[in-house]
Amino acid sequence: MIDYLTIAIALLAGAGLFLPLLQVVRSGKENLSGYILAIVLAAALLLIGMFTLNPSSVSWGGSLIIPDQMGGIFALVTVGVTLAVTIASFDFIKSTGRPVYYSLLGFTALGMVLLAYSQDLLMLFVSWELMSLPTYVLAGFDKKLRSNEASVKYAIIGAMSSAVILYAISLSYGLTGSTQISAVVDGFTSHPSALAGVATLLFVAGFGFKMSIVPFHMWIPDAYEGAPTTISTLLAAATKKAGFIAAIRVLLGITTLYAVTKSPLFTMANVFAVLALVTMTVGNISALTQKSMTRLLAYSSIAQAGYILIGFVAFSNAPGSSAAILGLTGTVFHVINHAVMKGAAFLAAGLVVLQLKRADLKAYDGLGKRMPITAFTLAVAFLGLAGVPPLSGFWSKLLLVLSVANGPYGWLALAAILNSAFSLGYYAWIIKRMYMDQGESTERVKEPFWFVLIFAVMVGLIIGIGLFPQQVISFVSNAVTNFAG
Amino acid sequence: MSYVLSLLIALPLAASPFVFLATRVNRRFGIYLSLGLAAVELLIAGYVFWEVYSQVPALPPGSYILQEKYSWISFSSFDLNYFLGVDGLSSPLLFVSALLTVLVIIGSRRLIDHHEAEYYSLIFLFEGAIMGVFTSLDLILFYIFWEIVLIPMFFFIGVWGGPRRKYAAMKFIIFTFAGSTIMLLGFLYFYMGMPSPSFDIPTIDAMLQAHQIPVGLEYLPLLASFIGFAVKLPLVPFHTWLPDAHVEAPSPISVLLAGVLLKMGGYGFLRVSIGLFPGASTQYAWVFLALGLFSMFYGAVAALLQTDLKKMIAFTSINHMGFVLFGAYATLISGSYIGIQGAIFQMFTHALAVGSLFMLSGYVQHQAGTREIPLLKGLGTSMPRTAAILVLGSAAAMGLPPFASFLAEFMVIVAGISASIFTAVSILVPVITAGYFLWMIKRTVLSPAEPGTEAHDMGWSDVGAFAVYLIPLVILIISSYLILSPALPVAQFLKGLP
Repeated sequence: MIDYLTIAIALLAGAGLFLPLLQVVRSGKENLSGYILAIVLAAALLLIGMFTLNPSSVSWGGSLIIPDQMGGIFALVTVGVTLAVTIASFDFIKSTGRPVYYSLLGFTALGMVLLAYSQDLLMLFVSWELMSLPTYVLAGFDKKLRSNEASVKYAIIGAMSSAVILYAISLSYGLTGSTQISAVVDGFTSHPSALAGVATLLFVAGFGFKMSIVPFHMWIPDAYEGAPTTISTLLAAATKKAGFIAAIRVLLGITTLYAVTKSPLFTMANVFAVLALVTMTVGNISALTQKSMTRLLAYSSIAQAGYILIGFVAFSNAPGSSAAILGLTGTVFHVINHAVMKGAAFLAAGLVVLQLKRADLKAYDGLGKRMPITAFTLAVAFLGLAGVPPLSGFWSKLLLVLSVANGPYGWLALAAILNSAFSLGYYAWIIKRMYMDQGESTERVKEPFWFVLIFAVMVGLIIGIGLFPQQVISFVSNAVTNFAG
Repeated sequence: MSYVLSLLIALPLAASPFVFLATRVNRRFGIYLSLGLAAVELLIAGYVFWEVYSQVPALPPGSYILQEKYSWISFSSFDLNYFLGVDGLSSPLLFVSALLTVLVIIGSRRLIDHHEAEYYSLIFLFEGAIMGVFTSLDLILFYIFWEIVLIPMFFFIGVWGGPRRKYAAMKFIIFTFAGSTIMLLGFLYFYMGMPSPSFDIPTIDAMLQAHQIPVGLEYLPLLASFIGFAVKLPLVPFHTWLPDAHVEAPSPISVLLAGVLLKMGGYGFLRVSIGLFPGASTQYAWVFLALGLFSMFYGAVAALLQTDLKKMIAFTSINHMGFVLFGAYATLISGSYIGIQGAIFQMFTHALAVGSLFMLSGYVQHQAGTREIPLLKGLGTSMPRTAAILVLGSAAAMGLPPFASFLAEFMVIVAGISASIFTAVSILVPVITAGYFLWMIKRTVLSPAEPGTEAHDMGWSDVGAFAVYLIPLVILIISSYLILSPALPVAQFLKGLP
C-alpha cells in the first residue's frame, strides 16, 4: 500500500526547501523554479486526489493527522489554487528572487495541506503558522510602498490572530488536559464553563481573521490591494479556505455557549447567524462603493464568507439533522466553488493590472473588446459569484439557503437571498462596463498563454460543475456525512 | 419516452454558437441560417401544440403529455429531476414564442445594424431558455431557465438599446433578479416544510389532492412567488422597470419582451401561484383580483397620457396582462372556467397583437425618424401601408372583432362579472383602450401630412411579415377551440385543487 499523502507532503516540503538553492546556483532570473514548483504542485494535486478517493491511514503523525475526505477536499482546493497562482506567476513575477518566491509558495501549500488534515490543536497551530508566515513575505514581494504597507499590516494582524488562537489553545488544554480536537470538544460539551465559552469565542475570532468574518476583516481590502495580485488570489482563494477547515474541525462540535452569560440565546448557531448576516451585508454594501477592482473583489470575498457561514448555522443548530447535512454540504461546496470563481476573478484582475498597469474600475470600460478572454472569464466568474444559474455558485448557494429556509433561521435565508440580489448590482455593473461602455481605446491587448490556460480551466469548472453538479455534490455530501457521523 | 421537449430546448441552445460563427463569417448566410433554424423550431413547437390539442382534452385534468424525467442531483434528503411536460397552459405559449422568434429575426435584419453575430446568437439562447421555462415541471429547473432568460435580455437592452440603454438594462436586471430570488426562497421554504420534500410539480399536486400539505405552509411561498411573478407580469406597482426597458430596447426586442417575457409572469401565476398554493390563493383571491383590476385601469389610463408611441404600447401591455391575473383569480372565486381559459387565450392574443405594434413602432421610427405621436403626421397619405398595419394592429390590441383578442377579453370580463357584479367596471378598460388607440390613429394616420416630408413606406415583404402577426388572430376567433379546448382541463384542474 503506497501512502500517496506522505509522498505529496514530502514533495511539497522538498520543493520549499531546495528551490532557493537555484537562486545561488543560477542567476535566479529565469523561470526554472516556477516550472519546478508547478510540476510539484500538479503531482501533489494528483497524489492527494488519489489519496482522497481511497483514503487510508498514514504511517506517521500518530494522532496528529486525520486522513479523512473532508481534509482531502480542502487540501485539493488549496493546492489547486496554489497551482493556478504559480502558473499565473510565470508572467506576473519578473523580478529577481523568483526561486525564493516559489519556495515560499511551496511552504504555504504545505502548511495548508497539513492544516486540512490536522486533528490536534498543536498540529493545527504549527501548520497555521507554516501557512501564514510565507504569505507575510509574499504580500510585500513587490517592494513598493503599498505592497510593504500591505505586508506589514497583514503581518501584524496575522500575528495577533495567531496569538489569539494560541491563547485559546492554552485555555483548552488547561480545561480539558488534551490538545486533541475531539477531546477538547467533548470536554467543552460535557463540562461547560465560562472559560470554555471564552476559549470558543477566541477560536472564532482567531480563525475569523483568516476567514474574513466581519468584524475581523479590516486588514483584508488593504492587504489584497497592496499585495501582488497573484498573492491576493492566494489569500482570497486558498488561505481563507484553510481558515474554514480549521473552524469546521474545531468549532462545529461545540453547540452551546450557555455558561458564558447564562442566556439560552447565546448558542453557537446564533453567534454564527449574526456573524453571517453582518459579514455578508457589510461585504456587499462596501463592495458597491469601491473604485478599485482589487478592493471590490476583497469586499465581495468578505460577503461570500458570510454565505459560507450559513452552513455553520444550520449545522450548529441541529447537528445530525438533514438540514445540518445540507448546510455543511453547501458550505464545503461553496468553499470549492468560491475558490474557483474568486480565483478566476482575481487572476483576471491581475492580468488587467499586469497589461494595463492600473486597477481602477475605469480600466474595465470596454474591456470586452480589448481583452475578450479576460473579460469573458470575469463575467462568468461574477455571474457565478452572484449565484446566477446554471453556474456552479448557484448550487452551493441553493444548498446553503435551503438548509435554513424553513425554521428559526428563515430570516437568515431571506437576508442571503436579498444580499445575492443586491450583489448583482456591482457584478452586473462591471459586466456593463466591460461590454456596454466605451473604453479609452479599442486596441487588442495581449493575453499571455498561461493566463488563458488557467482561465479556460476555471471557466470550464464554473460552467461544468454548474451543469453537472451531481458528482461533486455527492462526493462532498459523503465527506460531510462521514465527518458528522 | 419522447424527446421532443428536450429537442425544443436543446435546438436553440445548440444553434446559438453556430449562428454566432456563421454571422461572423457572412452576415447574409448567418441571418438565413437563423431564420431556417427558427422555422424548424417553430415546426417542432407546432407539433407539440398539435399533440396537446389532440390528446389533452381526452385525458383527466392535470395530465401532462410528452413527459421526460431524469434524475439530475440526488443526495441525502435532496432530490432534483430534469422533468419536462406540456399541457394546455404551456403549449400555446411555446407556439407563440417560437412564432415570435421567427418574426423577430425577420424584423431584425433591417433594424439591427451592429454586433449582429452576438445578437442572433443571444436570440437563440433566449428562445431555448424560454422553452425551458414553459416546459419545466420541476421547480428548480423552472427557476434555472427563468434566470437564464435574464442574461440575454440584459445584453439586448444594454447593447442594442436607445440612449439610456445602460440605465434601463441595470434597472431591468436588478428588479427582475431580486423578484426571482425571492420567488426561489419561497420554493425552498415550501420544500423544507413538506412532509416528504419534492420539487416535482405533479408530485406536489398529488400531495395537495391528498390533503398532505397544510394550508399554513402556503402563505409565505405564495407571497414570495407573487413578488417574482408580479415583477415579470408586470403588476402595478412592480412595473416601473417595464416602460424604461421598452423605450430603450430595440423594437424586435420589445416584441420579445412583451410577447414572451411578460408571459412568464402570467404562466407563473397559473402554474405555480394557483397550481401549487391553491388554498392560500383561494383565500386571497379577492386581493389578486383587485390588483389585476387596478393594473388594467392603471395601464389604460397611463397609456392615454403617453406621447411616445412605444411607451403607449408598453402601458397597453400592463393593461392587457392585468386581464390575465384578473381572469385567473375570477375563476377561483366564481368557479366558472372561462376565467382561466380566457387568461390563457389573452396571453396568446396579446403576444401577437402587441408584438405587431412594437415591431411597427420600430419601422415608424426607422422610416419617419421619430416615435412621438404629436410629430407623426399624415401617415395615411405619406406611408399608407404602414398606416394600414398600424390601424389593424391597434384594432387587434383594443379587442375589436374579428380579432381574437376580443373574445379573450370578453371571456375574462364575463368571468369577472360572474365572480361579482362590481367587477363589471372592468368593461370600462376596453373602452379607455379603444379611446386612446383611436385618438392616436386620429393624430397620426388621419391628420394632414406636413408638406415636404419624404415618404418611405414599408415594402410588401414587410407587410407580409406583419400579416403573420394578425392573420392567426382572425383565424382564432373562428377556431378558438384550438386553444380553449386544451385550456379547459387546466382550468378544471386548477379550480378543483383543494
